[in-house]
Amino acid sequence: MKAQPRLRLRLSVAELVLVGALALAILVMAQLSPQFLTVRNLFEVTRFVAEAGLISLGMTAVILTGGIDLSVGSILGLSAIITGVFFHAGWNVWLAALTGILAGTLAGALNGLIITRAGIPPLIVTLATLAIYRGLALGISQGQAYRDYPEGFYSLGQGYLGPVPVQLIVFALFSLVFVLLLGRTVFGRTLYAIGNNETAARFSGLPVDRVKLIIYSLSGMLSGLAGVIFVSRLSTAKADAGLGYELDAITAVVLGGTAISGGQGGIWGTLLGLFIVGIVRNGMTLAFINADVQLVFIGLILIAAVTLNQVLRRGRR
Amino acid sequence: MQHVRLWIAVGAVALLGMAFAQKQITIAMIPKLVGIDYFNATEQGAKEAAAELGNIRLIYQGPTEGRVDKQIELIENFITAKVDVISVASNDPVAIAPVLDKARKAGIKVVTWDADANVRDVFCNQATFAGIGKALADEMAKQVGKEGEVAIVTSSLTAPNQNAWIAEMKKVLAKDYPGLKVVDTKPSEEDQQLAFRVTQDLLKAYPNLKGVWALSSVAFPGAAEAVQQAGKAGKVAVVGLSTPKQMKPFMKAGVIKSVVLWNPIDLGYLSVYAAKQLVEKGLKDGDKIVTKRGTFTVQKDDKSLQILLGPPFIFTPENIDKFNF
Repeated sequence: MKAQPRLRLRLSVAELVLVGALALAILVMAQLSPQFLTVRNLFEVTRFVAEAGLISLGMTAVILTGGIDLSVGSILGLSAIITGVFFHAGWNVWLAALTGILAGTLAGALNGLIITRAGIPPLIVTLATLAIYRGLALGISQGQAYRDYPEGFYSLGQGYLGPVPVQLIVFALFSLVFVLLLGRTVFGRTLYAIGNNETAARFSGLPVDRVKLIIYSLSGMLSGLAGVIFVSRLSTAKADAGLGYELDAITAVVLGGTAISGGQGGIWGTLLGLFIVGIVRNGMTLAFINADVQLVFIGLILIAAVTLNQVLRRGRR
Repeated sequence: MQHVRLWIAVGAVALLGMAFAQKQITIAMIPKLVGIDYFNATEQGAKEAAAELGNIRLIYQGPTEGRVDKQIELIENFITAKVDVISVASNDPVAIAPVLDKARKAGIKVVTWDADANVRDVFCNQATFAGIGKALADEMAKQVGKEGEVAIVTSSLTAPNQNAWIAEMKKVLAKDYPGLKVVDTKPSEEDQQLAFRVTQDLLKAYPNLKGVWALSSVAFPGAAEAVQQAGKAGKVAVVGLSTPKQMKPFMKAGVIKSVVLWNPIDLGYLSVYAAKQLVEKGLKDGDKIVTKRGTFTVQKDDKSLQILLGPPFIFTPENIDKFNF
């Protein structure tokens, strides 16, 4: 019974460290570039992270169960292509976008079905579908780019409400939903239970397979939504959209303190992780530091954060 | 005389520059991707120009893969950083247009080079179809003479660049070398093995064949290898487009005598000079850009302005060792 409050405290310490890291990152970047600490730029950062951010919400849920979804970037590409194809077949653009998101959801559901029914590890299943979905996107589009959407469609990825980018509003909304879903619902508790001990969860009568099917579908849906935003932001749907986004999402989740073995972590940590990476990347670009240096630096931050997290967890035991 | 005038001009520009106590210009230069020989060469040229001009702060940053979304993110950040010029070799002329438009509205000058975009102030064009077509035709005539049978190994039969080059080549042949007869045109579909096989077929089908044009960086080594393996090095000429590093072994083996392309070092160099002049004085049709590597002329085109790098560069056994791309 006493485990509950202690668990909360432990998580908040890990998150506090991240808040500190984020503050430090902001301070350092503000020193590097005078343009960094402006309202306009901070909103710009959210534009860059919104797509990977949406994906990392689903990824957090997946990793909490001890799973992983490597196919998210490919699903993004597939959804983008489906959106483009249906629009160019004469459909209304929003209907085409919904179809793209639906395709993403189905792709995610297929992942979930194979994982739960065939009992193949998620790493292998989604490694395979990473190739399959990207292949489908390339095959359907034949390398062609789909463009020329109506002006209104671009509001999603290029528009602003006041100073706030539209995709930030979408992202904030989904973040809130996921905070509540994971933190306040039985469904959320079930995710943690599966991640901590799947066998025990099954014996307690929890609907493990159904929950897994739902989270992989959600992960696919969010990737599909990210795909639609991507198309709107770039005015173009192309089969290489979202290449490598799975790594950006996993980085945010792991940096945010979610254990890769499942059972520990949450959305707040992921959001912090996402913004730490986003801010470091943005700040270093503003300071004209090369991409290769940025990559090394982000890798080092990741190792430092995870090491610190482990030390903290061990200290609590 | 030309030379003297050029130096006077250079001197005058240098003096003017000093007189105005130059303001620093920040140029953010974005290649299609970083870490490949070709774009290292353009960087080398850009750095050289920046060093000569003195008041240039050159930032050379690009994505690690040739992706337009990464270029767009970089450009968004460079707009925030308030650079003076964004100079880009675009991975997608349409997708990159909105962000370049945003840059221009923020008062930033936009230069494109190597690969054009739909929005820009000026495009540094490395080669025209006519220029490449003429260089290829002249190079063949130089190697095989003005009479005989020649053939073409192209990319795919619908490839727009290759077809434009072939059309220009045929114009030059009709005018200057009517004795050179194109007996066949074979596709190689961006496949080196296929280029190798179709060249073998050509050598068998036309025993009197004197030369082959190979019109892509994939077709050229394929065709050269076929000629080499058939023991016809020096008897059947292979003329084509590729990068010098890739073709160096064939040149050393005597299979080919030249490689036609442009000089990417010059291209990077010109783009920096153009950017500086664009910021300091503006550019218009007919303006001259005077550099230590030559004088370039600004021309009007269908979008805005462009500057042609000049006739293609011919890599030969004498100069090929100087290039590392």
